Amino acid sequence: MDENKKNLLEVKDLKVSFFTPAGEVKAVDGISYNLGYNEVMGIVGESGSGKSVEAYSIIGLLQKPGKVVGGSITFDGQDLLSYDEEQMRNVRGKDISMIFQNPMTCLNPVYTIGNQLMEALQCHDDKITKEEAWKRAVHMLELVGINNAEKRMTQYPHEHSGGMRQRAMIAMALISEPKLLIADEPTTALDVTIQAQILDVMKDIQKRVNTSIIFITHNLGVVAEVCDKVSVMYAGKIVEQGDVNDIFYDPQHPYTKALLASMPRLDEDGHERLIPIEGTPIDLLDPPQGCNFGPRCKECRKICLTKKPPYADLGNGHISACWLHFMDGAMKKEEA
Amino acid sequence: MADFSKISPFQVDPSAIEEAMGLTAEDFAPASEGEKESMVEKRKSVSYWRDAARRFKANTVSMVALFIFICCLIFAFIGPKLIPYSYGDQYRSSLKLGPREYSEGEALIQSASSYFDGFYASGLQAGSITAVMKGDHYITYKGNKYGFTQEQNEEGVIIGIEKSTGNLVKVYEKDVDPATGAVNKVTVLSEGPSEPAESADELKTVKSVFPHIFGTDSVGRDLMARTMYGARVSILIGIMAALIVLIIGSIYGAISGLAGGTLDFIMMRIVELIYSIPEVLIVLLLQVVLREPLQEWIDHSGSSLAQAAGALGSGIICIFITFALLYWVTMARIVRGQVLQLRKQEYVTAAIALGAGNKRIIKRHLLPNCVGALVITTCLQIPSAIFLESFLSFLGLGVSAPMASLGSLCSDALQTITLYPYRLVYPAVILTIIVLTLNLVGDGLRDALDPRLKK
Amino acid sequence: MVTYTLKRLGAALLTLLIIMAITFFLMNAIPGSPFLTEKSTPQQIALANAKYGLDKPLIIQLKNYVVNYLKGDLGTSLKMQEGTPVRDIIFHQGKFVLSIKLGLISLAVAVIIGIPLGCIAAYNRGTWLDGFLRVMTTVGVAIPGFVLATLLLASLAVKLHVLPTNSGQLTDFKSYIMPILSMSFYYVCYVAKLTRTSMLDAINQDYIRTARAKGVKTKMIVLKHALRNSLIPVITYLGPVTAGIITGSFVVESTFQIPGLGKYYVQCVMSRDYPVIMATTVVLSALVIFMNLVVDIAYKIVDPRITLTNKED
Repeated sequence: MDENKKNLLEVKDLKVSFFTPAGEVKAVDGISYNLGYNEVMGIVGESGSGKSVEAYSIIGLLQKPGKVVGGSITFDGQDLLSYDEEQMRNVRGKDISMIFQNPMTCLNPVYTIGNQLMEALQCHDDKITKEEAWKRAVHMLELVGINNAEKRMTQYPHEHSGGMRQRAMIAMALISEPKLLIADEPTTALDVTIQAQILDVMKDIQKRVNTSIIFITHNLGVVAEVCDKVSVMYAGKIVEQGDVNDIFYDPQHPYTKALLASMPRLDEDGHERLIPIEGTPIDLLDPPQGCNFGPRCKECRKICLTKKPPYADLGNGHISACWLHFMDGAMKKEEA
Repeated sequence: MADFSKISPFQVDPSAIEEAMGLTAEDFAPASEGEKESMVEKRKSVSYWRDAARRFKANTVSMVALFIFICCLIFAFIGPKLIPYSYGDQYRSSLKLGPREYSEGEALIQSASSYFDGFYASGLQAGSITAVMKGDHYITYKGNKYGFTQEQNEEGVIIGIEKSTGNLVKVYEKDVDPATGAVNKVTVLSEGPSEPAESADELKTVKSVFPHIFGTDSVGRDLMARTMYGARVSILIGIMAALIVLIIGSIYGAISGLAGGTLDFIMMRIVELIYSIPEVLIVLLLQVVLREPLQEWIDHSGSSLAQAAGALGSGIICIFITFALLYWVTMARIVRGQVLQLRKQEYVTAAIALGAGNKRIIKRHLLPNCVGALVITTCLQIPSAIFLESFLSFLGLGVSAPMASLGSLCSDALQTITLYPYRLVYPAVILTIIVLTLNLVGDGLRDALDPRLKK
Repeated sequence: MVTYTLKRLGAALLTLLIIMAITFFLMNAIPGSPFLTEKSTPQQIALANAKYGLDKPLIIQLKNYVVNYLKGDLGTSLKMQEGTPVRDIIFHQGKFVLSIKLGLISLAVAVIIGIPLGCIAAYNRGTWLDGFLRVMTTVGVAIPGFVLATLLLASLAVKLHVLPTNSGQLTDFKSYIMPILSMSFYYVCYVAKLTRTSMLDAINQDYIRTARAKGVKTKMIVLKHALRNSLIPVITYLGPVTAGIITGSFVVESTFQIPGLGKYYVQCVMSRDYPVIMATTVVLSALVIFMNLVVDIAYKIVDPRITLTNKED
């Protein structure tokens, strides 16, 4: 295999800033990861941690005043950041698709589901006939578990429930069999039971159409269910990254630990109290000099106040950005 | 399997970092709470109104518009005090003057003012002045009124007090150089320093003539004074009408939205009915119907309210009544919509669940959240009221003469548009500027008060 | 659908009835009598009143109006053209038709020019073209119609002689230009402003982001996805404005000396020509009600979420 083609997506030191009247907001501040073919990666973080912004910069939907200010995005061997708008348009929906958080507002209310599904095909293929597009759209709807697909095609979004609409969104995103699907909180706005169904649909369809998925969420439970590996983001940086099992059973970064402690778990026999993370996320307009998580960290050290922590390689591709990983070494040196 | 080996920026040997930074155990002493807090500078939370004010100030267009509108307000409300003319005074000798034109008498006074300390000019055209008119120029000297009584048969005569000597002198027009104001020949009427006399009310000594900047109309009224008063009337009508609409509309809308059910249904059908009425036709009818009874009430009722109404004139009162009857419906709909929308909000539900009474909910939750919409709608109502007034005046139903509004001034000017186009230009431009700036200020307020709308 | 139509029809008739009652009492509240002149004697007035049924109690007079209107009889003029059937004055002498014609053409112009202008501005947001259109529309909604009419007349007809001054006849296409332009300019600007705002609002919606993520071309996003959604507020505006645009012709008519309804209606009010006042108000109200119905149907076409039978407020 070609060296460049080893990974479907390589993001290197990506930096995205928003230029607001109040100053530059570094929404994404140097993140890197690789995503292999047929791999599902979760990006976890609370609101404002930059996870959606990062996704938008991959698919080229970043709106002003947001701007990619550094790094590179290599998709299938191609440098996406060098693409102009028309080239990017050809990538969108065809090679990279995206589904969004709120299915209630993400479908155009004045066009039928069928119209919007077929449009996803027609805008990349002028030659496709209406019948062909119709057939594929119906097939896709059936694939995501919508009964009565022929009838659903002629209905408007408001005639469907939230779960149905999200299924339609998934069908629409996958209809041209993209290599990469970015799912931005696809289950957040749905009822819990529907959430489970949608996750099942996504897992199932991922195997059928062979697509890689970036799964953006703040819900660690969702990540555990569908992802192969996980990146945990905090304040525009990836703080911990690794295999899904490592992250869940052997979290190393205090933020990941706190995140897990704040989440109800059924796999442990505790009637333990959930522990919230105290404090609020930092102001990205004026980030602290030291570790971004420092002000909220229970383990905060003097060094954390002044210097940003580097990444520590914990083996098996598990990395974590925290000074604590360097404590033992320093202590030993001191003793010696 | 996850493969992070390619991530070169992260591939760092821990011991290398320790070495490079020379980390010590001291570095890993736990940080105190205070130290942690000092890392983050708390951004002051800004109140809604301060934030809105900041956004409005940042909006250059709206700020410029506000400044120009304030200039218009000064023009309309302070301007009339600064010029010696009034909207109703007719200057017979100064008919149909163009902008900044002087009548012959005024021109002579202007040019001779360097020579005289105060003077009277008359008879510049033989026999042209036949009666004592308000606003014409005289001089009284030692109790004698010099002017028509003595000089009206002489052509082109100025009587004045010579600056250098204080003598009362007579000068013929032909002896004054209109360009420089130099006087070549004088006849002394009486010697000695003149004493200022008690001037009769309508007789005054003039030292110079204030120019008719916008010209005068066909009956010799100063157009700038009229435009100033007209702007004042138009702005007052706009603001008053907007307030009337605000009060009636918001009360009606709030009741309808809060009551719900049958009452809401009936109230909204009434609103729809008023929407279906061709407003202008009814407004025209109303104007005719109300005018006489109103005038009667103003004339015969001694109450202070009637006197205040009389000062405004029955035409303007008619416009207010029209607004009170027909134009509140849009406001009512907006307020009702806001109330319905807000009632569904979680925080209102929460307040109800916590047992807050209706009064408290209205005061604490509904009102503050409606204020933005109310301010914006009211602000944008002012120009539409000004438009309606000008429309009615145009059809001859607005304010009555000698009172002027911008609309009536435009309407008057239209009669003579081909001869004196400037008469339309000034009031029309002022009207357009007022409406334009108010619209822009309203837009700015909307952007500032309703951040959801600003994208 | 049938019940809905019947309901709408019933509501329309009821509305017309109430408007008739309001107009009736208002016009009877105008001080004086239609037949009161300097020369007339009380006997003559009484005679004339009896002739036209004005001596009857008000409520009976109102009932007569309603009954006659239901029969299609609009009565005869009392004053301006004494004895002429009102129906002829309104429909055959062209006054009313002329005003409505001008109004509806202006409305059409406002829609046909205003909406594309708004789209162009939104599409080219932030460019000089957008800036120009914004200035034009902002100034356009601040210029009173009669000022614009006069300026046009003075410049195009009197000074430059490009267009005929005597548009009083409205014979050819050229003579329509100035009246239509001065009547519709405000509405063109308003509609353009409204379209631009709602278009930009629509462009910020989630479904536009979805369309972009699908790879739909920008042009198609504006024309297909944003436009139809942004038409909804424009349609809302067009309903109530119909009456305004028709009565707005009053001003333009008097500037261009067009023998339309405007001046005539004012004269009728002044001279208390009751049947003409009544007929004008009722016919115009009927037109407004009809336009509201058209708007509701247009709503339904543009927005599938709206069902005619249970329209949300």
